[in-house]
Amino acid sequence: MRSLTFDSTNALCGAVFIGLGGFFIYQSLNLDIGTALRMGPGYFPLVLAIILALLGVVILVQSTRVEGEPFGPIALRGMAFILPAPIVFGLTVRGLGFVPSLFLIALIAAFASARMKAPMAVVIAIAITLFSVVVFSYALGLPFQRFGPWVRF
Amino acid sequence: MDLFSNLALGFYTAASPENLFFCLVGVLLGTLVGVLPGIGATATIAMLLPITFQLEPVSSLIMLAGIYYGAQYGGSTTAILINMPGESSSAVTAIDGYQMARRGRAGAALSIAALGSFFAGTVSTFLVAIFAIPLTVIALKFGAAEYFSLMIVGLVSSVALAHGSIVKALAMVVLGLLLGLVGTDIYTGAPRFTLGIREYADGLNFVAVAVGVFGVAEILRNLEGEKTRTVLMSKVSGLWPTREDFKRMVGPVLRGTVIGSALGILPGGGAILAAFASYTVEKRISDKPQEFGQGAIAGVAGPESANNAGAQTSFIPLLTLGIPANPVMALMVGAMIIQGIVPGPNVAAEQPALFWGIIASMWIGNLMLVVLNLPLIGLWVKLLTIPYYVLFPIIMAFCSIGVYSVNSNVYDLYAVAFFGFVGYVLVKLRCEPAPLLLGFVLGPLLEENLRRAMILSRGDPTTFVTRPISAILLLIALAVLVVVFLPSVKAKREEVFQEED
Amino acid sequence: MTKLHLTRRGTLAAGFALATMLAAGSPSLAADFPDRQITLVVPFAAGGSTDVVSRILAQKMSDDLGQQVIVQNVAGAGGNLGADNVARADPDGYTILMGTVATHALNPLILKSTPYDPQKDFTPISLLVLVPNVLVVNPELPAKDVAELLALLKAEPGKYSYASSGNGTPLHLSGELFKSMAGVEMEHIPYKGSGPALNDLLGNQVSIMFDNLPSSSGHIKSGTLRALAVTTKERAPSFPEVPTIAETIPGYETYTWNALFAPPGTPADVVARLNAAANKALADPAVGERMKEFSATIVGSTPEELGAHVDAEIAKWTPIVRDAKIQLE
Repeated sequence: MRSLTFDSTNALCGAVFIGLGGFFIYQSLNLDIGTALRMGPGYFPLVLAIILALLGVVILVQSTRVEGEPFGPIALRGMAFILPAPIVFGLTVRGLGFVPSLFLIALIAAFASARMKAPMAVVIAIAITLFSVVVFSYALGLPFQRFGPWVRF
Repeated sequence: MDLFSNLALGFYTAASPENLFFCLVGVLLGTLVGVLPGIGATATIAMLLPITFQLEPVSSLIMLAGIYYGAQYGGSTTAILINMPGESSSAVTAIDGYQMARRGRAGAALSIAALGSFFAGTVSTFLVAIFAIPLTVIALKFGAAEYFSLMIVGLVSSVALAHGSIVKALAMVVLGLLLGLVGTDIYTGAPRFTLGIREYADGLNFVAVAVGVFGVAEILRNLEGEKTRTVLMSKVSGLWPTREDFKRMVGPVLRGTVIGSALGILPGGGAILAAFASYTVEKRISDKPQEFGQGAIAGVAGPESANNAGAQTSFIPLLTLGIPANPVMALMVGAMIIQGIVPGPNVAAEQPALFWGIIASMWIGNLMLVVLNLPLIGLWVKLLTIPYYVLFPIIMAFCSIGVYSVNSNVYDLYAVAFFGFVGYVLVKLRCEPAPLLLGFVLGPLLEENLRRAMILSRGDPTTFVTRPISAILLLIALAVLVVVFLPSVKAKREEVFQEED
Repeated sequence: MTKLHLTRRGTLAAGFALATMLAAGSPSLAADFPDRQITLVVPFAAGGSTDVVSRILAQKMSDDLGQQVIVQNVAGAGGNLGADNVARADPDGYTILMGTVATHALNPLILKSTPYDPQKDFTPISLLVLVPNVLVVNPELPAKDVAELLALLKAEPGKYSYASSGNGTPLHLSGELFKSMAGVEMEHIPYKGSGPALNDLLGNQVSIMFDNLPSSSGHIKSGTLRALAVTTKERAPSFPEVPTIAETIPGYETYTWNALFAPPGTPADVVARLNAAANKALADPAVGERMKEFSATIVGSTPEELGAHVDAEIAKWTPIVRDAKIQLE
């Protein structure tokens, strides 16, 4: 037993909620609050944001009373490759078009796992692209351009 | 008896070879888009609208309805297999269904979901047939004050969704409510929390948030420390539910059907609450509430039945009033108009074959779904044996396509990444994503109806207690609050006493 | 080809388009236009009235152009997102917009900032249809016509509210115009679309509403709602027994319209080709039948007429919006 019982996960959790509450309080204050009888756009969010911050305080206080589990490993590599995938798709789908853009993001996402080897990743990306083009573009007829202006000669 | 002749007409219409064919096409297509993570019924039906131009009105509506409940069905498959709910209602199924899959019981979870849905679909189809017209009268009694009180019941109940700390669950609900308010205030047009990004003026996209906090966060969780871990899934044990499982699903399925049928009638949020409400009820009355969140059968059977029953009864306001209860129903209205049918109270009287044909086709469609899907369960479970590092590029690609297909809004894709990150952080902080999602769905409805009720009552807050239905709902909320908090307070006390020992 | 459903303007437009095409000569862009699918951006959610009009027309235009015209819903910011996308698209005729009174007249006037200029940032193609709005009430409201409603509102000011499908929509403005021209008071209650508003109207939670005629026509026919008047200058052909507001309040006129626009700088021959296809689709008897059931009046026009129409609409709405003091962010 450690001398100071303290759940770092919950302490952080409380702090996160206080921070989020603070953000929404700050943003709400820029809106018209109105009165309880004639609520403005800021009234309801302000009340909610204050509740959120208060709940954060409760969590923070409670965290000092019990010992928590360890935080565990963090998926840094996963975040580095998974999170950019939809962003890259968003940035390129109009310019490159559906097919190249999809291939690109499948390739990026494939590298999120340390077990993925490069040739395998290319094969998977090609397979995903082929399947998606057949199913989404041809069969379901989603209104996407297959090749965008950046690659049209 | 009118009902029998009407139903006979309905089945006669729905069972014609071409209508059977279009029903089959609809449920197949629906299952397909439901299973593919991200892409949903709304995008598919929108795409198919012009095709229906060439079909008979009955056939086209039967097909579109088939896509809708087929997608509900398929959506729960993905929720169970990869924790990726495509519709708000299957978010609840994901909680325990995915845990069952992790314990090697994916097959059982899928069959329970299929059988529960079929039972609920059958019962609620007949409810639609018998009560469609009288029930609309009740739905019309729901004004802003009643909706507000109903949402309060939903929010209070949602606390029971949490299997960890109640305070954290409450915080997640509140955070969800706030996220739901992002976008343009409908009363004044003021943009709120959009950070100046015009693409978020209509709010954050539900699919983007759900895919982010559930799916992407789950992928990241699976990727952490992968060098040390070898197997992610336990070995698949037994494809079918055991006799014991069947015994344990009967009660939840029956209760889920009742809850879903009742809430599904209410346009605007009723069907969404059904799955959440059923989960709450099951957890509350279970003698092993600690199992919930760890793969409880009741946690899959109840919400899945409620979800499907609600999906069927949400056709009631559409068919009897021409009022869409959700975006999919709005598309059905569009389809009717394209066909030259004016949706409204006259449809049942002027187009009996259409009205009853659609109702009968719902049951036929549900039958087709269960027949098609039970054999497929083996195949779905096999999918889990695909190595995870191969599966997630596929999931990410489909999610991106699906999210983009909703509104062709690239900012929805950025939201997926952002909420994937937020969801992962919250998972690391041991917070549950389900209450957040419920709050997200209810947030705008809660505020909209609160403010509308206040305007309608000319600023008199007693409107919530002087209107009888609203008052009853608030009393229910109070009762739920007492039931939820009393045991936990008691447990706390016991905990404290034990520590002192 | 049947001449039955061709309106006079439509015929003129088709003729004009044909003439432009001939004048442009053969070795032009239009000769191979279109050689791939055309995206018709609908700036509203699928299933709404603009979406329905678009899908009916896209189908027919595809037949004529020999290439798919696919509808893409880019909803958001009251139609501004989709409109802005088209304003910034390549001016090659492969991305076109289903514009409305909201995107091309009201939004730029009501919103503090609109990312595009409705007059400069688009090449007009063709005006398509006019859709009347309607003043409907719950049958329990003791007012059988507009005059009785005005009497009721004047007798008890502040008692009644009216519903609309949203803040800053053509329906909201129809209501505000009604209030200012008649000098009456009604609280505006915005909803998220017609559906939920109709629900509250049917349940008599709100007793008055301004709606698109197509969305409440089923209820008017069945008697579950009472139509007091349509907002157009003339009575609607689908409801000849319903009077106009102008019969009681002279000069009152609002309606919703749909029109096709291309990005700025689209070549004239491409525009002419699209104009011809649109007007041909409008002249199709099956389309005419659908539109009539939908209570929409087919108009059709030349590109120039549409340009003039947009100018006229902006001129018409500017003082109304200013007087009603509607300003959204």
